[in-house]
Amino acid sequence: MSAISPEIAAAPALPDVLPPVKLRGKVGTFVNRYPTIAVGGVLLAAMVLIAIFAPLLFTVDPTALAPAKRTREPSALYWFGTDMLGRDIYSRVTYGARVSLLVGFSVALLASVVGTFIGVVSGFMRALDSVIMRVMDGLMSIPPILLAIALMALTRGSVQNVIIAISVAEFPRVSRLIRGVVLSLREQPYVEAAVASGTRVPKIIWRHILPNTLAPLMVQATYICASAMITEAILSFIGAGTPPIIPSWGNIMAEGRALWQVKPFIVFFPAVYLSITVLAVNLLGDGLRDALDPRLAKRL
Amino acid sequence: MFAYIVRRVLATIPVMLIVALFVFSLLYIAPGDPAAIIAGDQATPQDVERIRASLGLDRPFVIRFGEWLWQVAHGDLGVSIFTNLPVTHMIAQRIEPTLSLMLLTVILSLLVAIPMGVIAAWKHGTWIDRLIMCTAVFGFSTPVFVIGYLLAYIFALWLEWLPVQGYTPLSHGLWPFLQNLILPAVALGMIYIALIARITRATMLEVLSQDYVRTAKAKGVGQRAILFVHALKNAAVPIVTVVGIGVALLIGGAVVTESVFAIPGLGRLTVDAILRRDYPVIQGVVLLFSFIYVLVNLGVDLLYTLFDPRIRY
Repeated sequence: MSAISPEIAAAPALPDVLPPVKLRGKVGTFVNRYPTIAVGGVLLAAMVLIAIFAPLLFTVDPTALAPAKRTREPSALYWFGTDMLGRDIYSRVTYGARVSLLVGFSVALLASVVGTFIGVVSGFMRALDSVIMRVMDGLMSIPPILLAIALMALTRGSVQNVIIAISVAEFPRVSRLIRGVVLSLREQPYVEAAVASGTRVPKIIWRHILPNTLAPLMVQATYICASAMITEAILSFIGAGTPPIIPSWGNIMAEGRALWQVKPFIVFFPAVYLSITVLAVNLLGDGLRDALDPRLAKRL
Repeated sequence: MFAYIVRRVLATIPVMLIVALFVFSLLYIAPGDPAAIIAGDQATPQDVERIRASLGLDRPFVIRFGEWLWQVAHGDLGVSIFTNLPVTHMIAQRIEPTLSLMLLTVILSLLVAIPMGVIAAWKHGTWIDRLIMCTAVFGFSTPVFVIGYLLAYIFALWLEWLPVQGYTPLSHGLWPFLQNLILPAVALGMIYIALIARITRATMLEVLSQDYVRTAKAKGVGQRAILFVHALKNAAVPIVTVVGIGVALLIGGAVVTESVFAIPGLGRLTVDAILRRDYPVIQGVVLLFSFIYVLVNLGVDLLYTLFDPRIRY
């Protein structure tokens, strides 16, 4: 916009009647425009802080056994009670945040990287495309949780194996998405121009394709993170996830399963933490989708 | 039309072959050498080798895959390592509760989710819309076993309206059957309801802004007729697609729901098989569920032509 001439900007300066708006500043505007990102972000950040600072949050050793003090109700001493081996549930749940977040973030990252790679290869090499996509169709027609269960049955239960198993179950969807984006990007005039001016394929991918896949990829990665945390809890819950020695929310619930009718609090606290974390990530995903793709935002 | 159906059915064959290849590889790379197990502790390496040859385990991967596929095509999924029963037999024993649970969940979810989505779209931007969408986000974020325990605690332990756990076959009467299945179905359906309600609202919003909806309004068609006759029919294709895709969530969720509510179905069979590392059973269940999933989505593809005659492939 060009400078406004004094004739047009003749309106007298009004007294500043709305100072609070100014005071609220950028943070307030952001919260108003993207309430879901703000709420989800704050909740998730709180959970990340809990996970990082678990040893400082008045916790005791989450694996310390005390059979004499087993299945105590929640009290001032044991905030969330103790489990059937006398371990402090508050400490276990707090440390459990580490496992859930680690699995969620790692799966989101791993599935995104592998899925993007395969999607780009598939979108650029027409010869491989139909073969790759048939294989992805096949993998996608195995329900993700069953696929992860089947893979976990092959290996020892460990956090690393859980991450790999869930990533294998999730990445075909990413590759599908990225392939679609790549195919539509290839038709764009600026990509055609790059091809015409002799730019090499790796550079086209790096400069023109990948940056444009970032927005849909981020949204997808958020949803994958949420579903990975649920899948991890389910795997641990049915005994095919992280080893029982590691306090993960799924494990705590699995141990409380036998007693849930008399001691429901053992299952209750990890369940609440898990639900809040997944909710936070889902809100963040919804907000990101709305912010990054206003066309979709109008629809969904 | 007929050509489309044939083409769609044929297109599922490569997909099922990939699934079969994956499931077969699972057993192929599974730890534990069957020949060594059968030979026992006293066997010499020569004995193990002989047994391996007699079982055909020394032949190449491709040939063994082909033979296994031939067996599966004839309804033979092998024998359970743990019970020595044929896997098909074990699955047949357990399939009724799982199918009942999933069917009831689908019916219940559709009855709840579609009106929810339609109303949210109709009351777009109001507090009703926001309330429904908030519920959907919560439904999407709460793991199925959390909802399961919550429902069981409220309705079974606290209010004592329904039994806590267990399963009664339909042959023992409709009411006892439903009594046991209603809580698991609601718990399992929550995520499905959230998914369908969201897509219903989104597509309905798009359809409601179309010209023919305005025309219908202008000529005095009632609100209900517009929503459920004119709009919903045209919003059907994306909704049915999501209903089909969401079955994967139901299958995964059923495994857990059956554990929470002690339902003796395929999910429990799977969980037991994992704890015992009973690979043929895991293999059979994964193959069966994937087959069901592919069939459901094939059905969905065929339904498209019914809802939208413009679709001609």
